Amino acid sequence: MNSSSIYRPAGFDFSNEIRNNFLHEKGLPLPGATSTGTTIVGCLFKDGIVLGADTRATEGPIVADKNCEKIHYITESIRCCGAGTAADTEFTTALISSNMEMHALQTGRKPRVVTAMTMLKQMLHRYQGHIGAALVLGGVDITGPQLFTIHPHGSTDKLPYVTMGSGSLAAMAMFESSWKPNMEREEALTLVKAAIAAGIFNDLGSGSNVDACIITATGTEMLRNVEMPNQRVQKERDYKFRRGTTAWRKEDIRQLIVQEHTKPVGGDEMDTS
Amino acid sequence: MERIDFDRLKTGEVNLGTSIMAVQFKDGVVIGADSRTTTGSYIANRVTDKLTHVHDRIYCCRSGSAADTQAVADIVHRFLQSEAQEREETPTVHIAASVFQKICYGNKDALSAGIIVAGWDKDVGPSVYNIPLGGGLFRQPWAIGGSGSTYVYGYCDATFKDGWGRDETVEFVKNTLALAMSRDGSSGGVIRMCVITEDSVQRLFVPGNELPRFWEGQEVLGAASKKIGSDVEVVPMAVEV
Amino acid sequence: MPGSMVAMTQPVQQSFNPYTENGGTILAIAGSDFSVIAGDTRQSEGYSIQTRYAPKVFRLTDKAVLAVNGFAADGNMFVKKVKQRLEWYRHAHAKDMPIRAIARLIQTMLYARRFFPYYVYNILGGIEEDGTGAVYSFDPVGSYERETCRAAGAAQSLVQPFLDNQIYFKNQTPAAGTQFPQHLPLTSVLPLVIDSFTSATERHIEVGDGLEIYVVVASGSTSLQGLQNLRGVQEVTGTTDGERVFVIRRELKKD
Repeated sequence: MNSSSIYRPAGFDFSNEIRNNFLHEKGLPLPGATSTGTTIVGCLFKDGIVLGADTRATEGPIVADKNCEKIHYITESIRCCGAGTAADTEFTTALISSNMEMHALQTGRKPRVVTAMTMLKQMLHRYQGHIGAALVLGGVDITGPQLFTIHPHGSTDKLPYVTMGSGSLAAMAMFESSWKPNMEREEALTLVKAAIAAGIFNDLGSGSNVDACIITATGTEMLRNVEMPNQRVQKERDYKFRRGTTAWRKEDIRQLIVQEHTKPVGGDEMDTS
Repeated sequence: MERIDFDRLKTGEVNLGTSIMAVQFKDGVVIGADSRTTTGSYIANRVTDKLTHVHDRIYCCRSGSAADTQAVADIVHRFLQSEAQEREETPTVHIAASVFQKICYGNKDALSAGIIVAGWDKDVGPSVYNIPLGGGLFRQPWAIGGSGSTYVYGYCDATFKDGWGRDETVEFVKNTLALAMSRDGSSGGVIRMCVITEDSVQRLFVPGNELPRFWEGQEVLGAASKKIGSDVEVVPMAVEV
Repeated sequence: MPGSMVAMTQPVQQSFNPYTENGGTILAIAGSDFSVIAGDTRQSEGYSIQTRYAPKVFRLTDKAVLAVNGFAADGNMFVKKVKQRLEWYRHAHAKDMPIRAIARLIQTMLYARRFFPYYVYNILGGIEEDGTGAVYSFDPVGSYERETCRAAGAAQSLVQPFLDNQIYFKNQTPAAGTQFPQHLPLTSVLPLVIDSFTSATERHIEVGDGLEIYVVVASGSTSLQGLQNLRGVQEVTGTTDGERVFVIRRELKKD
C-alpha cells in the first residue's frame, strides 16, 4: 500500500512499530508505563460482594500517585479492581463499561457479571497478554453475587475470595486464615480491610490508603479511603522562598486584553431591532 | 507423549500444570482432574474446575494454558449450542472432538492446549478422544494428560482392564490422579470427577485430605529410627557450661 | 512462529549473581563544628521487606561515623573489616585514627577489590583533627572526596537536589546586600535531615520504617545545647573529654 488512507481502521495504531523496534535495537530503552504495583481483593459474603484496593501507583521504585482509584465502574451493580499496567486497566474497564451500558440498552435488562467477565476475557485473550490488565470483577445480578479474577492472557477463575497484584500473596494469607462462608457485611468489610492492609504494609508495590466497595442487591456503596493508615507527619520546616529568590534575566509584561477600535466607514448602522 | 512444553507458555501466563484423565466403561465415561492452577510457583486457584461442560453429555478436560483452553472450550460450547439448535439433534462426541481438533491444529503456533474430550452419544455410546499439543485427534479407551500424566502411564498400562463397571472405573481414575498429583508439583488440591452416562451427568468430589494414599516412605524411615532407638541409647550432646 | 522456535532451541546460560540491591538511603551533612550522618532502617529485596530494622549507620570512633548503602551483606562485612583495622590501629598507636586517615584507609580497602567490588556506597562523617565537621563520600571502588553534604542510595536522586538547594543554596539568589552562610547551625540541619527522609518515604517505595540520625559534635561546641532537649536523643560517646556522639531515632512510615 503506497498511498496512505485518510480512513483509520478501528483499534490500536501500529504505525510507529517499525520505527520503535529500530530504536529499541539501537539501544533506546522503552518508556516505562505506570504500573499499579497493587493489592486488590474481592470477597463474597452473605448478601453480596466486597471489593478492596490500595491506592498507590508506581513507576519503578517511585510512587507516581499516592491516592489513585483502582476500583473502576462497570455498571451500577458491577465494579472492577485493576492491577498491572494502569493505562490498560483504566481503558479496558472504561471500554467494557461502555459496552455493558449499550448491551443493557439493547436488551432492556440489567446486565450480568458473567457478561462483563466474558467481554473482558475475550478482549484480553485476543491481545495475547499484551494488554497487561489483571482484574478482580465483582457484582450482584439476577443470579446473585458473582466474583471473578481475570488474568492478562484472558483466563478467568470464579472463587469466593480472590486477590491480585504484587500484594496478592500478603492479602491471600489473610483470606486463607480468616475467611469463612456466609459472613455478615461488617465482618467481610473488616476482612477486606485487613487483607488490603497486609498488602500495604508488607508489599513495597502497594501503599497509602484502603478503598472498598460493597455491592448488594439493594445497592452499591463506594467507600473511598475507608482507612487512611499512612498520613504524612507534619514537616519540621516550611519551605516558602523569599520573594526574589529566583533569578531572572528580563521582564516582559504583555497585555492579554486586545484593544479594538471600531471606526465606522459610512452607511447606516445595522438595524438590530 | 503429551508432556506440557513449558517453553511454549508465555511468561506470567496462567498454567494448568495438570493431571487430567478420561476412561470409558460399559455405560459411559468417567473423567477426572486435579484442581491446581499456577502462575510460576504461586497457586492462583486451588479448587479449579478443569472439567468443562461443552454440551449436555459432552465434557472436556483442559491442560496447558488456562486462557487458551478456556477460549477454545467457550468457542466449542457456542458452536455445539447452535449446531444442536439448527440440526435439532444432540451433537456426537466425535463432532465435538473434531471441532476441538480443528481449532487446536489450525492455531497450533499460538495455542498451548492439551485437551481430552469425552462423553456419551446415541451413535457409539461412550467415547474418549485425546487431542494432544500439536492438534492430533485420537480415540482411546482411556486417556491421560497434563504434566502429571507422565508419572502414571505405567500404572495405567498395568491396571486398566476392558469391561469394567462404573465403580471400578471411578476407583481407577481416582487412584491414578492421586498418584499423579503426589509426584507432580504442578498438580494437586482436590480430585474432581464426572460420570457421564445416557441418563445423567454425576459430579464426584474428593477433598484434599481424603485422597487415596499409597506408599509414602513412612515405614522405611520409621523402621530405621526404631532399630537405632532399641540398640543405641541417645545421649544428649555435651555442652560446655 | 520462528521467534518462539529460537527461544526453544537456544541454550540459556544460568549464571549466579552474587549481588543484590537492598534499597534504603543514607545522607550526611557537615557543619562548622559538627557532622550529621543519617540513614533509614528498611532493608528490602524486590517488593519484599527483609527487615524493618537493619542499621546502615555505624559509630567507628568518637570522631567518625560510617554510613553504608547498597548490597547489605557487603556493607556489613565492609564495616566489620574497617572496625577491625581501626582496632589494630588503636593497639599500635594508642589513639583513634583521625578521620582523614580513615577516609584514605577506606579508599585502599575498596580499591583492593577493584575487580570484585564491595557493592556499597560509603559516606563517612565526623570531626577533623582541626575540629571542623567533615563528610567524605565514596564510590564502590574507592574514588572519594570531602564535601559539605551528600546523599546516596535508592532515593539519592530525590534527596541530593533538595540538599543542593537547601545546604548549598543552589538556584537561590540572596537578598540584596546579603550572603548565604557557608555552614548551617545544627538546629537548621536536623529539620532538613528529617524532612529529607519523610519526603523520600513518601515518594520512594524502598525508603521507610525507621530513621537513625548520628550527630558527632566537636568538643566545646555550642551545638550541644540544641541536642539536649531533643525528642528521642541518646548519647553513644565512648570516651570522656573530646568529641561526643549522639543518636536520634525516629519512626518513618511503614507502607
